[in-house]
Amino acid sequence: MCGIIGYSGFRDADNVIIECLKRLEYRGYDSAGIGIIDDKLKIYKEVGEIKNLEKNLPKFKGSTGIGHTRWATHGSVTKENAHPHLSSNKKIAVVHNGIIENFRKLKDDLLKKGYKFLSETDSEVIAHLVQDNYKGNLEKAVFSALKKINGYYAIVAACSDEPEKIVGARKDSPLVIGSGDNENFLASDITAFLKYTNRVIYLNDGETCVATNKDIKIFDENNKPVQRDEDLIKWNLKDAEKSGFSHFMLKEIYDQPDTVHNVFRGRISEVNRAVEFNEKVENLLKNGIDSINIVACGTSYYASLVGKYLIEKLTNIPVNVELSSEYRYFGTRRESSLVIAVTQSGETLDTLAALKEAKNSGCKNLVITNVIGSTATRISDAYILTQSGPEIGVAATKTFTSQILVLFLLALKIGMIKNKIGADELYNYILNLKDLSRNVRIVLDQSNDILEIAKKIKNSKSVFFIGRGINYPLSLEGALKLKEISYLHAEGFAAGELKHGPFALLTKDTPVVAIVTRGPTYDKIIANIGEVKARGPKVIAVADDLDNEIEKHADFVLRFPSNSELLSCIPIAVLLQLLAYHVANLRGCSIDKPRNLAKSVTVE
Amino acid sequence: MKAVILAAGEGKRLRPFTETMPKVMLPVANKPVLEYVFDAVKKSGIDEIIVVVGYKKEVIMEYFKDYEDVKINYVVQDKQLGTAHALLQAKKHIKDTFIVLSGDNIIDKNSISNLIKDKSEYSILIKEHPNPSKYGVVFLEKKILKKIIEKPREEVGKFISTGIYKLPSTIFNDIKELTSQGHYALTSVIQSIIKENKKINTVTAESWMDIVYPWDLLTINEAMLNNAPASVSGIIEKGVTMKGAVSIGKNTSIYSGCYIVGPVIIGDNCEIGPNACIFPSTTIGNNSVVNPFSEINNSVIMDDVQIRSNSYISHSIIGKGTIIGNNFSNISGKTTVEIESEFKKLEKLGAIIGEDCNIASNVVVEPGIIIGKRCEVGSLNRITKHISSNSKVM
Repeated sequence: MCGIIGYSGFRDADNVIIECLKRLEYRGYDSAGIGIIDDKLKIYKEVGEIKNLEKNLPKFKGSTGIGHTRWATHGSVTKENAHPHLSSNKKIAVVHNGIIENFRKLKDDLLKKGYKFLSETDSEVIAHLVQDNYKGNLEKAVFSALKKINGYYAIVAACSDEPEKIVGARKDSPLVIGSGDNENFLASDITAFLKYTNRVIYLNDGETCVATNKDIKIFDENNKPVQRDEDLIKWNLKDAEKSGFSHFMLKEIYDQPDTVHNVFRGRISEVNRAVEFNEKVENLLKNGIDSINIVACGTSYYASLVGKYLIEKLTNIPVNVELSSEYRYFGTRRESSLVIAVTQSGETLDTLAALKEAKNSGCKNLVITNVIGSTATRISDAYILTQSGPEIGVAATKTFTSQILVLFLLALKIGMIKNKIGADELYNYILNLKDLSRNVRIVLDQSNDILEIAKKIKNSKSVFFIGRGINYPLSLEGALKLKEISYLHAEGFAAGELKHGPFALLTKDTPVVAIVTRGPTYDKIIANIGEVKARGPKVIAVADDLDNEIEKHADFVLRFPSNSELLSCIPIAVLLQLLAYHVANLRGCSIDKPRNLAKSVTVE
Repeated sequence: MKAVILAAGEGKRLRPFTETMPKVMLPVANKPVLEYVFDAVKKSGIDEIIVVVGYKKEVIMEYFKDYEDVKINYVVQDKQLGTAHALLQAKKHIKDTFIVLSGDNIIDKNSISNLIKDKSEYSILIKEHPNPSKYGVVFLEKKILKKIIEKPREEVGKFISTGIYKLPSTIFNDIKELTSQGHYALTSVIQSIIKENKKINTVTAESWMDIVYPWDLLTINEAMLNNAPASVSGIIEKGVTMKGAVSIGKNTSIYSGCYIVGPVIIGDNCEIGPNACIFPSTTIGNNSVVNPFSEINNSVIMDDVQIRSNSYISHSIIGKGTIIGNNFSNISGKTTVEIESEFKKLEKLGAIIGEDCNIASNVVVEPGIIIGKRCEVGSLNRITKHISSNSKVM
């Protein structure tokens, strides 16, 4: 999991590459390096964030170069293991994102031929392998070298004998081409070069490309030239700025009154009592669906679990949610079931693999993602965009609520098709959807109350989150948010499961956050709170604003507004996000870049 | 030349709307007041804007992140002590002569150009005003400023200070001295400069509008709608009548039988009708809904508002996210309104309803009533008194 960049143009390559790397930092930030073709090939690397590299970087001349920001997989975090890696003759430099599965064998062969390795990484193999195949043309050498590699990769290579050229290739890891005026870019994602150009060419799996400052050539897996058109990117780089908020995560939490609106923008009509998707999605849903498999990882997985509850409730169709990394090896594939892949970035490696598995088995498939043009949107039968705008904070916030809402709209649509939902019921749901923005605003307004609760739990040993029904996956997400940014140990449990084990962990230093909605299991969760309190922990209840009973049972109460049990999951999610944020902030954690984590995980 | 725009203030007299956004972000014809100021400044040839922000700064910075063709720098005033203190925050960005203006006054580009062109070292924009008593009234001798009297009780002159100045960077020394003595208003600094016998030239502004009270939004909205260009996108069904300058945003649907008389602006993603009437000088924000048989006249409806069937809304302001139930009616007419212990007589005013309120069906609101943000009003109520924020009327 890393970010890579290549540049050939007219500007000072070192400045451009540093600028691009800053935009890629969310993909990894434990070390970074750049390589510039000056009078010869010059490399500079540093451990730590990009600003560390920028501070110590000597001035290079030259307008062709490559760069890398690393999130370690093979080999520890050291200068030696940082990219770019050089070939033995010091003429070829390579940056790599991915994993080379047969690198030990390749390394042994190369060692026998006399190549010297300086790092512990798998990536260094590529540099030597390219040199081994080099006969005066870099793209041919890269092509031949990659043929010997098993695994997945996106790479960019440069060679001092061909000083204006950069060569890129990808397989199962992202790489896009940015086409500018007298300058061209190769990068892990579009935001990297969006400051310089908004014209993009997508590279497909197995393809190689060559860019100079003048032109771009693409070759397919048989090394035949391919013609491909440019796409224009409409969003703006400034969408990805903090706007006075102290962290991206906080800004993104506060974006939610707008992002919830964006999900149903153009998709629901109050007067026509209708939910509409694009044609491909409509066609996919019209044909009989008898079951649904949702595949996802991390926060998207929890959004999917909430979605499972919504879809089953509204359509009566069985929904099975599986972790992508499990489904791809162990899941069942039935042609009659619809496979929905949920991924914010559209590049999550495990989810892409699961999606490909489903496709190969002949399942209909649908992707829910935030990034148009991502690999997931290109390989699936149909896709629905969450329309949330770029999310920079590593902890997903606004995309979590948007994913849930897309699943909710899907549930409504399928419910209509299956005649489970009538026009009036749909109208009520549409009105409830329109209330969501204000319900989220009301939660955001309680930020100070939430901060007070955060102060009470910031020094705890562990925090447990409990809930029933739809609130169970919300408990899991609440716990995930807390642990990933505040490094506090946290777990979510189905409230009824506590007594089957987790009870043993309860002490007075383990506060329990109970999510309480006034549904059919209200009395049960109240009873669960009683059981918890009897064992010493303080209970923080998250309850709706008309619940007058709850104060008698819980030690503290945080309120959310609700007029629909199904959709109260959105304000509750926002509340839990703010709680995690405040705890992390009080503990002085690096909120936008939590240790050991990266935004989109493109390794297995 | 650089411009400093003061946008840190809260605007207490504009509550309930300013409880969730700074005064400068109040919408006029679906654009924040501050955007008019930015536009005018940009068109008059200013190449860099320094915005002094404070109260709810994120709302401003987020909105203007895509603003183009002029460089924008933000500086933060942590405590809103006064205009001179606010200006002082911009010091590090200013090396030469600059202009300073307030983010909550709408000003035209010609007036700013004239101010910039004026040869004098110090210049001020002034304007004739029908109610000078709530402003700083200026006294001149051969176009040179002699005195400013703040909020005079009796009528002493018709020309007032717009608070827009062209100043040399040396002003920061004067400001430092005065703020250290506890004088935080820019007018006090100007008075001291007059005392030092420096000449402050006056330039008359063409158009200048100030927002002090909520109902000023209606007057300014009316004025600005007259200049707004008409443009129609979205879906207009058969059987819709539109007259005059009507502007309809992207993705908005206007259903059959609607009758719209401009000037009217309707934002993006709205659903209007069928059979709704929208009459002149009305602005409707984004994502709003107007249900069948409702009439809206001379009003400002902000974003995310839902207006249910058979409602009558006139000379009113409805805040973001508010839901107005069926058969709502506001009476618009003569009234006296109390704001911050001042009594204001008004010829014609409807209801002023804050953000995220929930008004159930069949509610009647009397003229000039202010309902705070996030209030709930039960059905069949007649509202005769102001309702403070977060209240419930059973």
